Amino acid sequence: MVNGKDIVITSRIRLARNLKNYKFPIKMSSEESNNIISNTNEAMNHSGLKFKLIYMKDLSELDKNVLIEKHLISPALAENKHGGAILLSEDNKISIMINEEDHLRIQIIGTGMCLKECWEVANKVDDVLEEYLDYAFDKELGYITSCPTNIGTGMRASVMLHLPALSISNQTEKLLYGVSQLGVAVRGVYGEGTKSMGYLYQVSNQGTLGASEQTLIEKIEQIVWQIVDKEKRVREHMLKNNIDELEDEIYRAYGILTNARTIITDEAMKLLSYLKLGKEMDLIGKVKDKDLYELMVKIQPNSLLSTIDKDMTVKERDRKRAELIRNELLG
Amino acid sequence: MLCNECGKNEANVHFTQIINGKKTESHLCDECAKKNQSFSNFSMENLFSAMLNNTFGGSTTYLPTKSCPNCGMTYEQFRSVGKFGCSGCIDTFKPKLLPAIKNIQGYNSHVGKIPKRAGGNYKLQKDLERLKSELKQMIDQEEYEKAAELRDKIRELENK
Repeated sequence: MVNGKDIVITSRIRLARNLKNYKFPIKMSSEESNNIISNTNEAMNHSGLKFKLIYMKDLSELDKNVLIEKHLISPALAENKHGGAILLSEDNKISIMINEEDHLRIQIIGTGMCLKECWEVANKVDDVLEEYLDYAFDKELGYITSCPTNIGTGMRASVMLHLPALSISNQTEKLLYGVSQLGVAVRGVYGEGTKSMGYLYQVSNQGTLGASEQTLIEKIEQIVWQIVDKEKRVREHMLKNNIDELEDEIYRAYGILTNARTIITDEAMKLLSYLKLGKEMDLIGKVKDKDLYELMVKIQPNSLLSTIDKDMTVKERDRKRAELIRNELLG
Repeated sequence: MLCNECGKNEANVHFTQIINGKKTESHLCDECAKKNQSFSNFSMENLFSAMLNNTFGGSTTYLPTKSCPNCGMTYEQFRSVGKFGCSGCIDTFKPKLLPAIKNIQGYNSHVGKIPKRAGGNYKLQKDLERLKSELKQMIDQEEYEKAAELRDKIRELENK
């Protein structure tokens, strides 16, 4: 039945770090940015892990947008065409963005709720880098970052949640406003604000100063489990009271997704979200072994474009999206 | 959904604006969103610089006295972009910065990880402080075995 693992999709830890003897990315020269890239790359060679160094200048717009949709790089890094780079581990779980807003952004992504494990990895990567690079650190204010909103631990711990039941029953806005009072930021993963495409939400710590990394992580975990608990309760309530409507919605979603000849991202995301809900509530067996979250990422405009060589019009893309979904669900 | 602006492309930027309690929603395509200033203007940095202006009562009441010797950034510039030019800006602007940071973060002192090299003696100092307070706690609780272990650790660190 419903477990927290279905609702918590991914966990992520991001550490912002800067080097003492270099100006920050908004002020630095291309020589300085190249130095930072090669020094960081060299430092990571000592980690014993394999990393691929990718320069933003070598990527096409499409390649960059795909990396953004996969949450491996940020739009700000993609914009730094001359001085931006990323070090990416073989399994894509560890990435170090170089010369984004800060000199370094260490990012660890894991499946399900695993903030503590992600922090352990991030902490180790950070230790390796610090052995070879001179970090900017202030006794009072901690790790110095380009923007004062990240100063202190430089850590952003975030969890991606799938909250269809709360969203359908119009309870997200109230709930999300409530948790924002606790120093936690919530935003839609795709789309803007509390109106999230595919009912995917990101919960992260707002403050980065005045609490240890462990304390910040525990706080996010506690709040996330509370949200997960609410989502589960609404799902149970639906099973008891609205089972007919719910089943109908889910099978309609399945019907459209397996038959549509053209579909836009917004609609596809919503229907896939229903289907994922149905799968987790054991209401539809047909998609039992499908990774529906993965499909949600695959149908994003740029990820879709990257699977074919030629340029497509919006109409062609919507046809291609419908085709991909049919193949994945029926195949 | 089609773009509110051009009505041609699929809308994939959704924006909700609340001004004085009045809510307006816009759904735009990428191209129209780029043209629309209210989207590009919204960012954490702008939010922060707005808070900075609040803290110091707007841009007219404060005249900058010095700029960062390392990168040349003035406080006025920092306040308008919301970002430092280098780590040296922290030392230059610190007296003015601390209350502003407290305003946005809720705190103004770091208690998290201390880097081994950049932290230098400071890490040792903090570790000692932590161990000593643990030692006191153990003695209060009459956990003498644990207290002895802690005492040895403290000695070891002090002799480093």
